[in-house]
Amino acid sequence: MLGEDGLQKWVFYIPVVFLCLFFVVPVALTSVWSVFERTTFWMEPGFTFFAYQNFFTSARAENYLFSMIHSAWAVLISFVLGFPIAVFVRRRVPRVAQHRVILLFILPFMISELVRVFAMRPVLGRYGIINNFLMQIGIINEPITVILFSPLGVIIGDVLSFLPFMVFAGFLSMEAVQNYIFEVCDDLGAGPVRTFRDVIVPLAAPGIFAGSVFIFVNGIGSALVPIILGGPGAVNAGLIVNQAIVALDFPLAMAISTIMIATLATLLLIGHRLFDLTKILEPIN
Amino acid sequence: MRDDFSSEWGYRAKWAYLLTIVGALLAPVFYVIYISFNELGFGARVYKFTFDWYRVVLGDTMLVGSLKWTVYLALAVVATTVPMGLFSAKLYKRTRHKVLMVTLMLAPLFVPADIMGSALLVYFKHLNRTFETIGEAIGADWMTAWFELGFLTALIGQIIYTLPYAFVVILITMSRYRPQQTEAARACGATAWQAFCQVEFPQIRAGVFSAAAFVVILSFNEAPRTALLKGGFDTFSNVLVSQMLNVGMSGESYAMAGIMSIVAMTAVGAILIYTMIRTERLDRRARAAAEPVMST
Repeated sequence: MLGEDGLQKWVFYIPVVFLCLFFVVPVALTSVWSVFERTTFWMEPGFTFFAYQNFFTSARAENYLFSMIHSAWAVLISFVLGFPIAVFVRRRVPRVAQHRVILLFILPFMISELVRVFAMRPVLGRYGIINNFLMQIGIINEPITVILFSPLGVIIGDVLSFLPFMVFAGFLSMEAVQNYIFEVCDDLGAGPVRTFRDVIVPLAAPGIFAGSVFIFVNGIGSALVPIILGGPGAVNAGLIVNQAIVALDFPLAMAISTIMIATLATLLLIGHRLFDLTKILEPIN
Repeated sequence: MRDDFSSEWGYRAKWAYLLTIVGALLAPVFYVIYISFNELGFGARVYKFTFDWYRVVLGDTMLVGSLKWTVYLALAVVATTVPMGLFSAKLYKRTRHKVLMVTLMLAPLFVPADIMGSALLVYFKHLNRTFETIGEAIGADWMTAWFELGFLTALIGQIIYTLPYAFVVILITMSRYRPQQTEAARACGATAWQAFCQVEFPQIRAGVFSAAAFVVILSFNEAPRTALLKGGFDTFSNVLVSQMLNVGMSGESYAMAGIMSIVAMTAVGAILIYTMIRTERLDRRARAAAEPVMST
């Protein structure tokens, strides 16, 4: 095997060491930096909860909460739109063609999120495709303005940005579900709704959960969508962090990052306890 | 047993739904490309086809400069991330701590770009100060500015972003490889390197190349981490963001978005076509090998 002789075997550990140095350590240190004292342009070692106090006693905490609600909506819509596709492909598309069909969702995902979100402006805008179309067929007389530069615009942007993840994660977990299980359900006369609710969702729960956490956390933490599609009221944690860094308030930026990472870690821990997330990787193993 | 084929229309409706969702995800991008070829830009009642906006972008030395930096960065990312993805996939196959390993490798996927970028920004500033202090104490000037924001820090940020994808793509390809083949090659006297190059790599080559292509695309598209970590140079997507926010959406912005989309679609399309042709060829070869030899 490559590099199994002598010292060469240590080459395999390079990625692990790299991730420990440049991912685990900085992410872990955010909580330490968050209690540092703020100086004019930087910060100095200290122990103060001023950044947290600043966060929780300002509109930022409210914005964070609202961004959680918007992200939860994005998760729900992505599940409703995306998960049935994963089920359909796994159950009804011939096995040899399944991966090719899922690859269709790679293409939109591989186009820059920036471009995809940017592309929503001429679609959702006052004189965009949707408004023009609805006005032309006479459904509305005035352009709908609530779909752009608003929280709704952010939810639409999140769904379009992250929907493929629900399809990928759902499909991956459905791959571990054997076909005979569906056959048993059919033979016992279970209807589609009951099969979906009582059999498919529990079996695919690890994938659904992983996809949901991914969408939820990125919905809260990715600043790009509210910057491009959100209005003044649509602020999320990523945007607040960016604003704090521009204002050179590094402890505040680190405090929000810590809260964000704690939210993520808690969700993953709960998910792992409930659904054993390693099951998603069973097809690969 | 009940199935969709008993209701042809139900089956067709499900396919139509799937293709509608793919279309809805892609339609805005195609609309942007469509607008980018309109001389009069977005919102005009008349459509006059032109390449002028692309000429403007490619004639702008600042934009071409940012495009060069984007290409350099993408090449550096692919040169480092793909071998690291390969090493980590191989380590995953033989480690006993699979859960720990996969958690570490996939965790960067779940940390949002701006959070990761800001954590790294502060980390690099601290590292820089620490190195400088040590350098001053021992009189070593060469220790200064190692982690000054610039190409290296942007590269590190992008490796962390792209490594999980490279790991997963290579791991999926490797899952079809039987390690007994390597053992057989070693038993026949091949060195570890020979066994890898001549037995294993040809079988996982498609995955490695796919990972390389995906890493290039991800690097080309990346904006938030790079914006925080790049220091003094600009990448194409960062220029697009700042143009959108400061100048608004001009014909130039549409052309830039068009370039990014066309590059990504061409690369992914090429991978998909190559993968399908290769799978077809392997299937044909397998079928031919399985056919009984007919006596003449």
